[in-house]
Amino acid sequence: MRRLPVYLVLDSSGSMSGEPLEAVKNGIQILVSSLRQDPYALETAFLSVISFESQAQQLVPLTELSQFQAPPLVANGVTSLGAALSLLADCIQREVKTATQDRKGDWKPLVFLMTDGMPTDDWEHGLARLKTQKIGMMVACGPNHGMDTDLLKQITPHVVTLDVTDSAAFKAFFKWVSASISTGSQKVDTGKEVMGLSELPPPPPEITIVV
Amino acid sequence: MKSVKLNALDGTPIEFINQVVGQGSLKDCYFSPDPSYVVLFYREKQDHDTFERLKKITGTYRQGIFTQAGGDYWQDKFCWPSHVLQHEGRLGLVCPSYDPRYLFTWGSVNQDMFKLKGREKEGKWFASARHRARLLDPREKGDWLKYFRICILLSRSVRRMHAIGLAHSDLSYKNVLIDPVTGSAVIVDVDGLVVPNLYPPQVLGTPDFIAPEVMASNHLAFHDPTRKLPSRQSDQHALAVLIYMYLLYRHPLRGRKVHDPDNPELDEKLAMGDKALFIEHNSDLSNRPNLNDVHPAELPWIDVSRLPAAKLLGPYLYPLVERAFVVGLHQPELRPSADEWEHALVKTVDLLQPCPNPDCEQKWFVFDNTLKPVCPFCQNPFKGLLPVLNFYYARKPGIYSQENYRLMVYHNQYLYPWHVNRQIFANEKLSPDQIKPVGYFVWHQGAWWLVNQTLPDLWDKESDCAIPPGQRVMLKEGGKLLLSREEGGRLAMVQLVQGN
Repeated sequence: MRRLPVYLVLDSSGSMSGEPLEAVKNGIQILVSSLRQDPYALETAFLSVISFESQAQQLVPLTELSQFQAPPLVANGVTSLGAALSLLADCIQREVKTATQDRKGDWKPLVFLMTDGMPTDDWEHGLARLKTQKIGMMVACGPNHGMDTDLLKQITPHVVTLDVTDSAAFKAFFKWVSASISTGSQKVDTGKEVMGLSELPPPPPEITIVV
Repeated sequence: MKSVKLNALDGTPIEFINQVVGQGSLKDCYFSPDPSYVVLFYREKQDHDTFERLKKITGTYRQGIFTQAGGDYWQDKFCWPSHVLQHEGRLGLVCPSYDPRYLFTWGSVNQDMFKLKGREKEGKWFASARHRARLLDPREKGDWLKYFRICILLSRSVRRMHAIGLAHSDLSYKNVLIDPVTGSAVIVDVDGLVVPNLYPPQVLGTPDFIAPEVMASNHLAFHDPTRKLPSRQSDQHALAVLIYMYLLYRHPLRGRKVHDPDNPELDEKLAMGDKALFIEHNSDLSNRPNLNDVHPAELPWIDVSRLPAAKLLGPYLYPLVERAFVVGLHQPELRPSADEWEHALVKTVDLLQPCPNPDCEQKWFVFDNTLKPVCPFCQNPFKGLLPVLNFYYARKPGIYSQENYRLMVYHNQYLYPWHVNRQIFANEKLSPDQIKPVGYFVWHQGAWWLVNQTLPDLWDKESDCAIPPGQRVMLKEGGKLLLSREEGGRLAMVQLVQGN
């Protein structure tokens, strides 16, 4: 069974507290409920959530969409993006199946990274670690001001920016994430009646009667 | 919300409420104050060819299907666009609204935890063993006989399109809405129709349904002469996949075989294209599903040795399955036509036997010619006496040849004109008189009886006497019943199976 692994890598540093984090939580709900109405996504998409602040941790391991439960997110600490990328690489290595002789491998994972500020650790080291893994597509999402998007562009060419305090924009972003996952997930001769002991004998091929 | 009033290109007044209520891959959908139709606009500017194609689809081709004799039959089989319109630079279509039976009534389990109520019944929900096992409300699922009906209607509609020279080009469970509760199907998204040599296809198809030759050549340039584009032959592949999936809840080509371990995209392209291989191929076992690598809810359907198509689908359908997925998989000209599928499905319905187990989810199974019939789905053995009628036709007066056509009898089963005369076929061309039963079968006081309702010529060879309407005749082993003396009239020979 070929799965489509989807990793949500979410910044939960102190600066995300309040409205931005609520918007992210809301976004995950929207994402999950709209994917659950897509019979293709429900069969193939598996979700995982990694959050990062002073440390990075995988809050939800790669989980079948129908079983997925949104994790509690608490904003705290600084922005260890490097640790998150490194952990992401570990999770991909561990969780994404590669093909063997008689087992299909998973699709290459989709990664959605959301962050609202400059990393506080050695993010380039984490990136180098991540580059050892095969990724289908990675989208980075950052705030439309207060952050150097050039940094995100070094992680992935697909960078979107939005106003972290605008819940409608968040909603739209998660709708788009959901749409991209949906598209990705679409991606003995018995003709004759054999005579045998356990079978009904064949009826005669021809019957002659006088009418 | 403000509504917009305008005239379609043909002058018909049209009205729509200016708020997008749904989005497809190409078009936005708007409601009309008149609940019988919706208006769809292409989001992007369309070329002249599309414009011309839509005019033809809403014009000549629409008339070709709906305004001919018997055209009414097709009204609820297609969601066919009726008018082309333009508004603020956008090209649009007017389409009939979906019948409410194609929207979920109960949706998913646990008080509709997946919030499907009111959403379209896309076929994928019902063709997936996992969704059936864990997610759909049991009241939405229908029984196995309903899926035969759905497949018959689909084959018939595809046959009709092909008969007037059209190809759908994107047949998939996304573009076919089904209702397993009533056993109905409607083909939607007809605007992508391909008119061979006139309007080329716009889409490649939907994964799972793209024909191998189309998949294998999709990297070539559009105008490359060796590139295979969607056509009637690729429709025939898609139809075969649909039928197989609606009856067996597994994909015929998705097994264990790995073609490129390093690149899932390429592996997929090979598995659905050049290297496509039937999971039930009888000599090449290399693509059998790997039961250690399937989702538990895909069982038992994915286990092809436990539920083999050959046994489940019976002697009329399985040869077509083999032609579609073995010999015709890479030789498109050998694939069964929609017409052949329709015939085999209709004949197979006559082989269905109700499962006596009230908890059996399928409720019906194809009689497999065994002396001790057992429901292959719930393993419930058939108890009692089971009559089988073998049909014969008069090759010349008095000489009756076997027809490879049987009717399984069950309590309160009807006998219809198409059983009685081989010149009558159960399709949309039947007259109102021909859809009325002419007799019925009952189990009464320890014996099976055929009760004649309207057959003028029913004659029992055993007693050598006529059984006029209103009279009954007992079904006995070896009994011969002449059903009609008209040209094409059949003789039925009775076999009785003593069940477990």
